[in-house]
Amino acid sequence: MADEFIKGFGALMVGGLGWMTIAGWYRTPSFEGAQLIGELPPAESRTVFDSMAIAMMDVFFWFAVFGALTFWVLIPLVGELREYLDERSA
Amino acid sequence: MSDNDTNDDEVRTDGSGGGGIVAPDDETPTWSERKQRSQGLSRLTYEYFERARREDQDLRQQSDYVERDVLAFPAWPHEMIRNLALTSFFVGMILFLSATLPPEMPNPANSAVTPAIILPDWYLYWSFGLLKLGPLNPNLAILGGAKLMADRTYGVLANVVVVGFVAIVPFINKGSARRPVEQPFWAAVGMAGVIFSLTIAALSIKNLIPMDSHLLFDLTFLVPIVAGTITYAVLKTMREGYMFDLNRRYYRLRPPK
Repeated sequence: MADEFIKGFGALMVGGLGWMTIAGWYRTPSFEGAQLIGELPPAESRTVFDSMAIAMMDVFFWFAVFGALTFWVLIPLVGELREYLDERSA
Repeated sequence: MSDNDTNDDEVRTDGSGGGGIVAPDDETPTWSERKQRSQGLSRLTYEYFERARREDQDLRQQSDYVERDVLAFPAWPHEMIRNLALTSFFVGMILFLSATLPPEMPNPANSAVTPAIILPDWYLYWSFGLLKLGPLNPNLAILGGAKLMADRTYGVLANVVVVGFVAIVPFINKGSARRPVEQPFWAAVGMAGVIFSLTIAALSIKNLIPMDSHLLFDLTFLVPIVAGTITYAVLKTMREGYMFDLNRRYYRLRPPK
């Protein structure tokens, strides 16, 4: 159980840190306004590396969300379900 | 004891082979466990903790060693390794963030111009808020409705009162409780104080708080009382089933042999 916790926490932290870093680069046009969720640069002005980084930003974000959900909710749920089914069939 | 020490024909199951690690009888590892621990990092970890356990056992068997109910690890290497891990994490975090997300460097302050909003550093907001207690300064009928002291003097005195109360608390409660449930009242006082330090800080920046300033002023004093009451009620409910004796025994030190 503790293993599942730290796996989910690791996914949350790694994904969150990666998302925060790239969002700080591309979605923070100014420190006065919206930060991390601001306007993306226009598509025509992006280089290949910019596009890759912006794609990675979403990957990191959903990795954080689904990683935590998987290890904290999904896997324990499956375990409980399997235990319940085993008990019922026994 | 002496029998076991001298009898070398005894079959050894702890893998010591005369010296080295010694496992206790009831914790002697099985052969599959030993195989798992036979190489690499698992072997190193196993030997490390076995040695630590053995050193601890030797210390306990010496008569001048004060055995404590609170078990602890020695500062070297256990605590140092842990501290090194924590330090490495935070240093790495600082390096990573400063390299990837350097903060904006705004224009340097112009010392010739007074800024529009004057505020102390954030950790002094509570003291700054106490200077704004003018509405609490009573108008005395005996003085014909005049105030006994100026509002600013009143604010400074409020600082003295609050700091004085914080300084007095250790003398009226010695802090023998190990958990908030053991003394719900004092936990409630502490909780109210923490919340008050936040609300009074919010009061000090009332221009920036999107709320009616009179409402904010009232909430500054009401919210801590409500929070303290809730804390008291919750902790009073939690007292049922709390094992006071177990806790006390855990923290009491045994007398030396």
